[in-house]
Amino acid sequence: MLGATYSLLGIGLTLVFGLMNVVNFAHGEFYTLGAYATFAALVLGSVNFFLAIPIAIVVGAAAGALCDRVLLRPLRGASIDTVMLVMIGVWIAMQNAELLGWGGVAKNIPTPLPTQPLTAGPVSVAPLRLFVFVVSGLLILGAHLVLAKTKLGRAMRATFQDRETAALMGVSIDRIHTITFAFGAGLAAAAGALLGPVFLLYPSMGDLASLKAFSVVILGGLGNFAGAALGGLVLGIAEELGAGYISSGYRDAVGFIIIVVVLLLRPAGLFARAERVG
Amino acid sequence: MRRSGSRIVVAASLVAAATAPAWVWNPYHLHTLIMAGIFAVLALSLNLLLGYTGQLSLGHAAFFGIGAYASGLLTVKLEWSPWIGLVVAIALPALAGWVIGRLALKIRGAYFVLLTISFAGVVSLVSVNWMELTNGPLGLPGVPPLELALPWLGEVSLRTKSAYYYVVVAAVALCYLVCLGLVRSRVGRALVALRENETLAESVGINVTHYLVLATVVSAAMAGLGGGLYAHYTRFVSPEVFLFTYTVTMVIMVVAGGKGTLAGPVLGAVLFTALPEVLRAATSWQWQMLLYGVLLVIVLFFLPQGIVPAVQRRR
Amino acid sequence: MRRAAVALSLVVMVGLALIIPGAFAQQDPIKIGVIQPLSGSVAASGNYIRMGAEIARDWINGRGGVLGRQVQLLIEDNKSDPKEAATAAEKLIVKDKVPVIVGAWGSSMTLAAMPKLEEYGVPMVVETSSAASITKRGNPWVFRISPPSEMEALGLERYLKDLGVKKADFLAVNTDWGRGAVGAFGDILKKSGANVGLAEFMEQAATDMNAQITKVKAGNADTLFITTAVEQITLVLRQAQEQRLTRKIVTTGGSSAPSQLIKQAGPAAEGTYHILFFLPWFPEAMPDGKLAKAFVDEWNKRGHPFDGLTEGFRGHDGVLTAVEALKTAGKPDPKAVRDALWKVQLMGLNGPIKFEKDGPAGKESGQSKPSIFLVQIKDGKIALPAFAKK
Repeated sequence: MLGATYSLLGIGLTLVFGLMNVVNFAHGEFYTLGAYATFAALVLGSVNFFLAIPIAIVVGAAAGALCDRVLLRPLRGASIDTVMLVMIGVWIAMQNAELLGWGGVAKNIPTPLPTQPLTAGPVSVAPLRLFVFVVSGLLILGAHLVLAKTKLGRAMRATFQDRETAALMGVSIDRIHTITFAFGAGLAAAAGALLGPVFLLYPSMGDLASLKAFSVVILGGLGNFAGAALGGLVLGIAEELGAGYISSGYRDAVGFIIIVVVLLLRPAGLFARAERVG
Repeated sequence: MRRSGSRIVVAASLVAAATAPAWVWNPYHLHTLIMAGIFAVLALSLNLLLGYTGQLSLGHAAFFGIGAYASGLLTVKLEWSPWIGLVVAIALPALAGWVIGRLALKIRGAYFVLLTISFAGVVSLVSVNWMELTNGPLGLPGVPPLELALPWLGEVSLRTKSAYYYVVVAAVALCYLVCLGLVRSRVGRALVALRENETLAESVGINVTHYLVLATVVSAAMAGLGGGLYAHYTRFVSPEVFLFTYTVTMVIMVVAGGKGTLAGPVLGAVLFTALPEVLRAATSWQWQMLLYGVLLVIVLFFLPQGIVPAVQRRR
Repeated sequence: MRRAAVALSLVVMVGLALIIPGAFAQQDPIKIGVIQPLSGSVAASGNYIRMGAEIARDWINGRGGVLGRQVQLLIEDNKSDPKEAATAAEKLIVKDKVPVIVGAWGSSMTLAAMPKLEEYGVPMVVETSSAASITKRGNPWVFRISPPSEMEALGLERYLKDLGVKKADFLAVNTDWGRGAVGAFGDILKKSGANVGLAEFMEQAATDMNAQITKVKAGNADTLFITTAVEQITLVLRQAQEQRLTRKIVTTGGSSAPSQLIKQAGPAAEGTYHILFFLPWFPEAMPDGKLAKAFVDEWNKRGHPFDGLTEGFRGHDGVLTAVEALKTAGKPDPKAVRDALWKVQLMGLNGPIKFEKDGPAGKESGQSKPSIFLVQIKDGKIALPAFAKK
C-alpha cells in the first residue's frame, strides 16, 4: 500500500538527479511542506480534503521552482558536491523553519473517509490507505503521461539524453530545469499530502521520507523513471515481509541490505533494461 | 612577499594552537576547541576520499562510530588500557574500510555515496539491536579517560582539558602529516589522476583499485581514531554516534573549508564547530539551526569552491 | 563584492554574540540551567517541559524570587543528541556559572551530560529520564524526580489483578527507555504470576508498525503494553484498529497524553489504559489539588496545548525542586545546592518530592519516589478506572 507513495517520492528524486545532476537532500522537506500545506488548507483555510491535496501539490511545486531559480540556477556550473551541500543547508533551514512555524507538536489531518476497515475475506484494508494507493497510482500514471506524450515531456527527455543537442534544438535548459525541479518537488508534496492523514505531521517527518526516496532511487537505478515506480513498490513489500519474518528491530535494515546487494550485483539498478525516463 | 605573508599566518596559527590552553582560560572554549580538533581529524579523513579520489563517503559516521564503540567496549567490558582501545579503534574501521573499498571496486560517484550510506545504516542498526554486545540504545557510560604512564612521573591522567587538548592536537598533526605524505607521494598523484580521469589513469598503468582501497583504508582508520578520541573524551558512547548529522557535519566542514586542500578541512572543522556555539550565544534556540542552515547556503553560494581555495586564488 | 558580503554577515553575527549577553546585565538574577530537546525528533516533549518550567519561574518570581533575587532560566537545546547535551551542560556550567541544572529529558542525553556534572561539581535535577543506570552509576550530583521504569512497574503492580492481565505482549520504541520498560514490566508481570509473550520494538522515527501488529495479532496474549512517545502510540492504535487487533492496551512512561490520543486516534483509543504521572483532567484528585488546579488554569491561560500538560508538569516540578534547594542552601553555590537537595521536602504537581539514596555507597545519587496514576479512555473521555479511585 505504502509502496505507491514511496514511488512518488522516488520519481521526483530520480528525475531531479537524472536531469539536473542534483542530489537533492531537501527532497523530504518538500514532502513535509506538502503535508503541512494540506493541514493549513484543511484546518486553517477550511477547504475540502480532496481540494487540499492539489493545493499542497501546487504549493510544493511553487516552492521547488523558487528554490531552483534562486539557488540552483546560479550554481549550475558548480561541482555536484557543492550543490549537494547547498541542498543539505536548505534541508536544515527548511526543517527548522517548519519547527519555528508549526511547533514541534505533532498535528493530525482529519479525513472524511471512514476509519472502519473494509474487509474482503481474510484481507482487511483501511479506506484511507486504499484512497492513498489509488491516488498515488493515478499521479504516477499522470507523471508518466506528461513525460511520454507532451511536448514538454519530450523536451525533458531530450535534455536528459543530451543537454547540448537539446539546447541547440531550441530547448531552454534553464526553463526545463526549473520545471523539472518543480515537478519533483510537487510529487514529493503530493506524497506528503497523501501520507499526512495516514501518519502524523511533525517537522522532522521528511528525514524518513528522504531515506525511503533514496532507497527507491537506487533500487530503480539513478535517473530511471520506471525503475523508481517499481522500486517503490518493491521496497514497500520487502519492508513488510522483512519485518514479518526477521526481527522488527532490523526492519529498516532490509532497505539498506537491498541497496548493497543491488549495488554489488547490478550497479545500474534492478530495472536497468527498462526504458529510461518515461 | 605574499608567500611569506601566508607563512606568517600559518606560523601564527600554529603557535596559537600550541599554546591555546595557556590563554584560553575558559574551559568551555577549550571544550569547543577539543571538539573542533576531533572533527578536524574526521574532516581530514573524509577529505582524503572526497577531495583526492573524488569519491564521497556519506557513511563516514560508521567508521567514526565503530572506532568509538571499539575503544569503548574494550575498555569498559574487558577493562583493557585505553591506549590499546585507541589502537583497535584505528584498526577495526581500517578493516571495515578495506572491505568497503574492495566491495566498491566498480562503483563510483553517486553509487559509492549510496553504498556508504547503506553501510552506515546497517552498522547503526546493529549497534541498536545487538544488545549483548553494544548494550543497545542504553549506550556505554563510564568509558575511562586516557592515562599516561611515564617512568619518572608515574601515572598522569589526561583527564584535564588542557592535557586532552594536546592529545587531540597531536592527533590532528599526525593525520595532517599522514595526509601530506600521501598526497605528495606517488599515491597522491595517482589518486588525483583517478579523480580527474579514471580511464586515462588506468591506461597509463595506474592500478586504480589498489589506490582507491588504500585511500579508503587510511581514511577509515583516521575516522576511527577520531571516534576513539571522542569516546575517551565524552566518556559515553551510544548509538547516536552513527547519526547521519555527524556525517553531514563532516561533509560541511570539508566542502565549505575547501576540499582537496589540507588546510581546508581543518579550517572548516574549527569554523563549523564554533559556529553553533556562536549562534547559541547570539540567538535563542529557535533560530540557531535555522540560521546555521541559511549561513551554510550563503557561504557555499558565494564560495562554491570553499574558503581556502578562494583565499588561495586571490593571491 | 561577494566575499565582502560574506565577511559582513560574519561580522554582524559575531557582533550580535557580543551585544546580546550584555542586555541581561541588570539586577543579577539567580540562574538555573535547563537542557531540553527543543528541536529534533522529540522536540514536542522538550518544549512542553520548557513551558512548565517557565510557569514555575514566573510564579516564583511573582512571589519575590528566591534569596531576594529573581530567577532566570537559561534554556539550552540539546537537539536530541547526547553530544549536544554534554556541550550544553559545559556551556551552562562554565560560561553561565549556573549553580544547578534541570535536564536533560532522554536518558542517553542525561547520561552524556553526567560526566560534566562530576567534573565541575554541579548538581542536576533529572525530570524525565527513566533508565535505571542514571542513579546507579555513583554520580553524587544527580537527583532524579522521575520514576525509573522499575519504579513505574512497581506502581502498576497493585492494579494488575483488576486489569486482568494473564499474558502480555510488549511493543516498545527501540531506545533505552523502551528497552528498560519491557524489562521492568516483564519482571513485575512474571513476579505476579502472569505470562510474558512477545517483545517487539520499533525505531523512533518509524511510522508504519503494521508488521509488528501482525505478529502480536498472531499470538494469544490478552494485553499489549506500549511504550513510546504519543505520536507513535497514535499510529500504533490506528493501525491496530485497521488490523482489528483486540487486546487490552496499556501505555507506560507517562508520555501518552490521552486527550491527544482521543483527538488523533479517535475510536481506536477507546478502552485503552494509560500510566501517567499527572492528571490534568482531575486536578482535585492529585496529591496537591489546589496547586494542580492553578497550574492547569495557568497553562490554559497561556494558550499552551492542553495535551502537553502530562509532560509540562515535569518542568514545573524540576524548577521548583531546584529553587527549593537554592533557598535551603542560602546561596547560589553548586556544592551548597547539592547538599541542600538532600534536605528538600516539598509538594510538587506529581506529589511529594524527597530524595532517597540510590547507587554505590559513598557516592549515591538522589532518587525521589514519584506517584503513579492510571486512567482509561472511556466513551471518548478520560476516566479514572473504578479500581484506581482513591
